[in-house]
Parts: sequence; structure tokens; C-alpha cells
Amino acid sequence: MKKHKFTLYFGILLISIILILFFISFIYLPYPVEEMNIKGRFLPPSKAHLLGTDHFGRDIFSRVLVSTRSALAVSVSSVFIGSVCGLILGAIAALSPVAIESILMRFVDALMAFPGILSAMMLSAVLGKGVINASIAIAFFMVPVFARLSYSMILENRKKGYVKAARSYGASTIRLVVFHMLPDMITRLITQLSTSIGTAILTESSLSFLGLGIQPPGASLGLMLSEAKGYVLTYPSQAIWPGLVLAIAVLGFCMLGDGINSLLHGEKSYE
Amino acid sequence: MLKYILKRFLSSLAVLFFVTLITFFVISVLPGDQAILALGLDATQESLDALRSSLGLDRPFLVRYLEWLFSAIRFDLGTSSVYGERVINLIVSRLPVTFFLTLFSIIIASLISAALGLIASLNKGRVADGAIRTTVLAISSLPSFWISLLCLVFFCGKLKWFPVNGYTAPSVNVFEFIRSMVLPSFILAFGEIALMTRMFYSSLVRSLSDDYMIACEVKGLSRLRALIHYGVRSAIIAPITLIGNQAAKLFGGTVIVETVFSLPGIGRLLLVSVEQHDIALLEGVVLFITVMVVLMNFLTDIAVALADPLIRLSGGEK
Repeated sequence: MKKHKFTLYFGILLISIILILFFISFIYLPYPVEEMNIKGRFLPPSKAHLLGTDHFGRDIFSRVLVSTRSALAVSVSSVFIGSVCGLILGAIAALSPVAIESILMRFVDALMAFPGILSAMMLSAVLGKGVINASIAIAFFMVPVFARLSYSMILENRKKGYVKAARSYGASTIRLVVFHMLPDMITRLITQLSTSIGTAILTESSLSFLGLGIQPPGASLGLMLSEAKGYVLTYPSQAIWPGLVLAIAVLGFCMLGDGINSLLHGEKSYE
Repeated sequence: MLKYILKRFLSSLAVLFFVTLITFFVISVLPGDQAILALGLDATQESLDALRSSLGLDRPFLVRYLEWLFSAIRFDLGTSSVYGERVINLIVSRLPVTFFLTLFSIIIASLISAALGLIASLNKGRVADGAIRTTVLAISSLPSFWISLLCLVFFCGKLKWFPVNGYTAPSVNVFEFIRSMVLPSFILAFGEIALMTRMFYSSLVRSLSDDYMIACEVKGLSRLRALIHYGVRSAIIAPITLIGNQAAKLFGGTVIVETVFSLPGIGRLLLVSVEQHDIALLEGVVLFITVMVVLMNFLTDIAVALADPLIRLSGGEK
């Protein structure tokens, strides 16, 4: 049991690092994010510039701090939109007559056939670049994941005693789902939400890395890595810090999800 | 068995129908009026109408969709406005890179995950077990483009094992082609090993505790021997499904490594179409990838049915 708690605590530790960086970005920034300094390009880490400067002489530490804002904002909002839409879609499918149910679930399967980065790229081509469109694009591929979750949970729970009992008292279908089934699925939901936030952070940075997410001169971890790409062989240090923060964020949420799952289900979660 | 295959086939067809509908709707309809996009907001009504009727945009959605669908079935995906070539030819010419990238990385990922899953399941509950599972989770969470950049610096810059922008077409030199695929394939594989190791692990653990494994132990077989001869056969079914599904996902997710390593594959084509607003190319690539995903998943279902006597004999009624 000990190692499960390790995953959980380690995940919480990593997420705390990101949250601390996020809060610092509102309280104290060593330099304005977009302040360029042509004389001070590619400076190594020093007291003045904790993590050095980039190819425009901008302070990397300040840019990493500000990047946590867009990473968290995009991931949390897209997972929120995607999970609400998905959960409702899955619930409707599970509660509908068989014909509608199978049509809806084939639709969900079709959504699943779009690999994450593909649907995000397709939507950003259609909607245009930028933070809000990136959130919508990422939310789009979260929908089928949550739809399948609520669909399978409702099908599993439909035959359980407490549902039958509630129905015998005359509870309506909506009441049954919201007040009786939702609390029962909340643990699996939290696990999925946490993992999804990790995936969403990764996708946002991938989109920005490809030049389709947050636009320069804004700051995003993916964008910083994309800019570092051009100088990576001569100044590799510019690529290290944004990637490290990104890895901490993604790993933190994945481990948290994994840890909660193990804590609640024990060894069963792996089987 | 035949009944099961037919059932999967029909359901895949239904999925394909929705895939084409979503693709067409999102790319052709959602952006709004393509005539205004092309000519600008201050275009005259006559020129807009002329362009609309020449593009066929004045007809109802369903007619346009069906027309697009039927030409797509005949492999006619239109002409790319960026390259001036037929979309299907572009896709076919870029296919080898993405295909081999996917193939190599899924093989690497399966081998690593099977080995790690086996070691972890034999040491269940011990330190090695937890260490393996935590490590693979960590490795798979690392952003692929970051790892790509670091590998580029280390293996191509410092050690000079691989060329920096070294793509060689397989028709020129097969050895160099494979060499340029090594790093990207490993990086793609890393992203998959957490999920796959867990799957190998859990199905091995399950089959280790099955009754027939206890029978093997009673018979005096060593644990490893019993596992390899008897356990793996029943434990292989869940991983086959996952490998098939992940191979399909990987196929559509190569764009990042293709970009970092300058490999001319389908992913690069997708990126160009998005950047340049090449609608026909975007539609073609998206449709091609999603059809491949559905096809892969269908073939995986069939493979699993062949391997799993429970499905083979019951016709898929669980």
C-alpha cells in the first residue's frame, strides 16, 4: 500500500510546485515578460536572470512563470467544457432506447477515431489560433472519453440495489442520475479529470509548439520550446527549463490521478 | 465467428459514416462562407455568387456532403491548393515515413512493455514492481517535443550518432532511412510504454493467479516456465487490443516528431494544410488518418476474436 501513497504524494508535490509558480506569477515577476534586451541574449543563469535569457534577451524565469497561467487556464477550462459535454452525452446514450443509444455511441466511437492532436489541429485550422480556440479544440477530444465514462458507469450501476430502491420511491431519471449515480461515480470521475488535465496541458503545449496555440509574443511553455528549437544545438539550456516545468505539470496530474485511483481501489485498480 | 465479424464490420461502417460527417461538417461548414473567406468582406454580391456557384457552395449541405463522400470513396480527394497536386498522390508519397515510424515505435514499445510487465508481475508487491510502474508513468508523461529536443542535442549534437536534419528516402539508401527513424521511433514509443506496461502487467498478474497456473506449480514447473508456456497465452489478449488501438492512435500522432526531426510524413502534410488553410488537403489527410484508425481498430477486434476462444465460440455475446 505504501507505494500507492508515494505516487499520490509525489503527484501532489509536483502539482504544488506548479501552483506555487502560478501564484508567484501574479505577485512578483523579475522582469516584464516581453521586455527584450538585444545586448543580453543567451545569458547563462545568474543572480540577475535566475534561468538565463532567451534569443531576444528576455528573462526565461519570468516567461516560465507566466506560461503556467496559460497552461492551467487552457487545460482546466477545456477539461471542464469537455467533461460536462461528454458526461451529458454519455448519460443520454445510456438512458435512451437501444436504437438511439447505439447511434449515439457510434458517434462517440467516431469522435474517438480522431487522435487527440489531430482533432485539436483540425479545429484550430477552422477556428483560428489563440487561447480560447485552443481550449475549444482540446475540449472537443475530451468529449468521447467522458461520454464513455458516464455511459459505462450508468450501465453498470443501473442494476444495483440503491438505484432500484430510489426508483421504487418514485425518483425521476434525472434525479436518479444526478443525486444517486453521480456520487457513486465521483471517484472514477476525479481520477479521469486529473489525468485529463495532464493530457490537456500536454496538448496545449503541443499546439503552441506547432505554432497553432498561443501566439508570440505571448508566453507558453510549448511556444518557448518552439523558439528554443532554432538555437538548440548552440544554446541547449534555453530548451531545458520550459520543458522541465511542462514535464512536472503533466507528470503531477497523471500521478495524482494514478495515486487517487490506487488509494481508492488498491491493487484492483491495476486489474 | 462469422456473425461476430459481420457485427463488427457493420458497426465500423456506422463509425466511418460519422467520421466522414464530422470531418466534412467541421472543415467545410463550420468556418462559414468560403466565398467570403476567399474574396474578403468587401467583395461584390455578383462575384460572391459566381464563386459560390463555381465552388458548388450554393447547393444544400447534404448534396455537397454526399458528393464529397462518393468522390472520396473513389479515392478522389480533390487537389491541394498549396502543392497543386492531387491530395491522394501527396498522401501516398508521404505514407512510408509515417507508416514505418508507427510500425517501429509500436514494436519497440511492445517489446519494452512486455519485458517490464513480465519483470514487474513476477516481483509483484516488491520494490522492483513499484519502481517499474512509477518509472514508466514518468517516462510516458514527458512531453515528446521536449525529449526530441534533448535527444537532438545529445545524440545528434554531442555524440554525432545521427545526422541533425538527416532524412534519406528509402529509395536512396535503406540503411540511412532506418537510421533517421531510430530516434523518432524510440521517442514515440516512450509515450506508449506506461499504458502498455500496465496492461501487460495486469493481465499477467491475473493469469498468474488463475487455477491452471496453480496446477502448473503443483506439477513442479518453475514460475517463469509456467508463465511463458501457459500464462502468456491467456494474458496476451488484452495487450493485443491495446497494441492495435495504440498503433492506430500513434499513426495520427506523429506530427510532433516529424516536425522536430524534419521527416516528410503525413503529420507534416497535416501541419502544412493547417498553416496554409488548404481545405482539400486538410480534409483528405484527416479523412485518411481517421479511416486508418477505424480500420486498425476493426482488424484488432478480428485478431482478438481469433485469439480469444470466449469470443470465437460465443459469437461475441458476452
